[in-house]
Amino acid sequence: MKRAAFLAALFTVLALVSPAKAARIEVQWWHAMSGVLGDRLNEVVEKFNKSQDKYTVVAVAKGNYDEVTNGVIAAYRAKRPPEMVQIAERGYMTMLLSDAVVPVQDLLEKQGYKIDFADFIKPVASFWSYKGRMSALPFNSSTPIFWYNKDHFQKAGFDKPADTWQELEKQLYAIKAKGISECGTVLPGDFYWSLLENYSAINNQPYGTLANGFDGLGTEFVYNKTKVVSQVARLKKWLDDGIMQIAGQGFSPEQLFTSGRCSTFVNSTASHGNIERNATINWSATFLPHESDIDPPLNSTIGGGAIWVMKGHTPERYEAVAAFLNFIAQPETQVWWHGATGYVPATNRAYELARERGYYKDHPTREIAVLQLSRGTPNENSRGFRFGNFVQTMLAQRQEVEAVFAGQKQPQQAMDDAVKRGNEILRQFEKLNAGKNLDGDR
Amino acid sequence: MTARSSATWRDVAAPAQSRSAIVAGQASRGATADGGRTAASRKRARPALEAGLKRANFGDGPGLPTLLLLPQFLILLFFFFIPSLRALTQSVLLSDPFGTTVQFVWLDNFKALFANGEYRQSMWVTLQFTVGQNVLTLLVALVLAFATDHIVRGRSVYRTIILLPYAIAPAIAGILWAFLFNPAVGPLAQMLHALGIGWDPNLNPNHALILVVLTASWKHICYDYIFLVVGLLAVPVSLIEAAAVDGAGPIRRFVSIGLPMLGPTVFFLAVMNFIYGFFETFAIIDAVTRGGPAGATNILVYKVYVDGFVNLDLGSSAAQSVLLMSFALLCTLLQFRYFDRKVNYGV
Repeated sequence: MKRAAFLAALFTVLALVSPAKAARIEVQWWHAMSGVLGDRLNEVVEKFNKSQDKYTVVAVAKGNYDEVTNGVIAAYRAKRPPEMVQIAERGYMTMLLSDAVVPVQDLLEKQGYKIDFADFIKPVASFWSYKGRMSALPFNSSTPIFWYNKDHFQKAGFDKPADTWQELEKQLYAIKAKGISECGTVLPGDFYWSLLENYSAINNQPYGTLANGFDGLGTEFVYNKTKVVSQVARLKKWLDDGIMQIAGQGFSPEQLFTSGRCSTFVNSTASHGNIERNATINWSATFLPHESDIDPPLNSTIGGGAIWVMKGHTPERYEAVAAFLNFIAQPETQVWWHGATGYVPATNRAYELARERGYYKDHPTREIAVLQLSRGTPNENSRGFRFGNFVQTMLAQRQEVEAVFAGQKQPQQAMDDAVKRGNEILRQFEKLNAGKNLDGDR
Repeated sequence: MTARSSATWRDVAAPAQSRSAIVAGQASRGATADGGRTAASRKRARPALEAGLKRANFGDGPGLPTLLLLPQFLILLFFFFIPSLRALTQSVLLSDPFGTTVQFVWLDNFKALFANGEYRQSMWVTLQFTVGQNVLTLLVALVLAFATDHIVRGRSVYRTIILLPYAIAPAIAGILWAFLFNPAVGPLAQMLHALGIGWDPNLNPNHALILVVLTASWKHICYDYIFLVVGLLAVPVSLIEAAAVDGAGPIRRFVSIGLPMLGPTVFFLAVMNFIYGFFETFAIIDAVTRGGPAGATNILVYKVYVDGFVNLDLGSSAAQSVLLMSFALLCTLLQFRYFDRKVNYGV
């Protein structure tokens, strides 16, 4: 009796709910954006859901990038992956070779969407493409830029930071010597990305063989034979001379800059939101410096995340996914996202649109990243990085750089060791993926 | 081990502690009856028991005991045996994180670890960390426990304050300490600088290690403290009074009477501290140093986490967790082997 009543109630509820449900196809998107960026992301999703009545995208915050990656791995192994997931740039090779994803360009073309993939800003497109076809849709792309405290530079008698590391060094020493600030700069938490990898690209230095890995899994690191070594030595010298400070755990490097304690800060263009909100100083930003003997400097490379589409879903769901990705790739969406967050617009058309509307007149620093990414023609050294297990090699490298900072190793020794450890990790990745043809990915 | 230890204390005195009672029960089960004390009222002969010991009776047949053991067994099955088996399997595989490409590589993951300088460094760091943490925690907890007896007013307030850190999540505790000792902004770091100590855990590996040892100990002192206070309460007042009459001061009484009688507690705590240091400190490391600088605080359990969940090197991570479990087991066995004999369980 009771059971019958329960079933009756259940059916009534289902009858009430299901027509509404059946009308819209629901797909999940797991992401790693928190705080202000998370709110903005939810707004984008909301815009899409309101723009049509066939599909609903549900954005699920799954923690930081590592946590999202682990979440999607566990879900995929349990055969319940989300339709879409946001993965950081370093995870590119892992995702590409995972055999668990659907390349976005294939999906969008199959679903009949006409997206001009050639219009994507070059270093952005090349980072997320394999054999000229886009495997993941660039969503939040950033690049490091050079933030500085205007007042500190003016007090020391400089208009703005110099273009070259050599001149900049003199400025920072002068600022310190005049007692204008306690430290010239602060070591960013992701210095390996901005001060080593991007440094290498901008200064036209090879980071690994086989065109930084674009030409095959047999790539080996070579940055122990390039200017990266002297860059590490420079950082060590700045640290010893009190020109550079390390914020350390329990405290964010950004705060040392926004509070006016350190005069400059190399950090992602995506920190615009935070810096605009927190800075009590008169700040501005400019391009990253380059070496005096490298002129003109090349483009910088990207960081941030892209949207990957997971295998194993029904055709209707892929329909929904394609509709959403198409929406994200639209110039209007890109311009809005660019303005709301500080990430770069992914396509040239979106950038033009922002410029036409005079956006950069009010927000000049937001243009730096786009200009820096699209200057010149990207070559083998600046196209991006294509290394497997790139997180692991980066952590090994970071450890070796820390050994230099701690005074345990000389820069050359540390970079030799980092390259040796990194190459072992690359060989492991090559062994795992042996037989998967990656040659000539151009 | 049981047989030997039971033989030792039997010469000493009648057992009263529950722990020794269990040992006694096991030891005497197979031994010849002590005569005269067989339970006459029961129909079936039961093994002889020491005077004053109770034996739980679950009735006949395996039904009820099995049922009662089942929940614990299921917990062990799902949270220990199955994961351990999975770890063992994974440790001989080279696999893509999504599990789409899997290769059987025999013991390559283990060989790679032992050939790896970073892993050896991690072992050495773990040893320094756990020993340092163990000694510091026990010493401070002993002093605090000793002091508890000599506090007349506000004893419960004193105890509550000491117990507070236990209620704080390890990650929060880690951030707290990292901030207090942050060379750029931390007040305690500023104090050290004022004293002329160039404190900088971001650069100096030793400072970083000291900092994580301090944090981990601070978090665990209260645990040791509870056991030590209770242990001290169990020391017969008559002994202490007798010593006091003979003219022994409070410190002498503590060192000569309290401490030896705390033997079993201290031994137990030493084992627990090692296990804590081995397995439960990863959140603290993550918050205070992230294993740095230059791997100076990269203890084994943290390395397992980083290699598995950040680097996605599941084979190596599994191999490391198998090794870590063996180390912990070995360590505990060694402690039992060498220290257990020296501990006097009698009262």
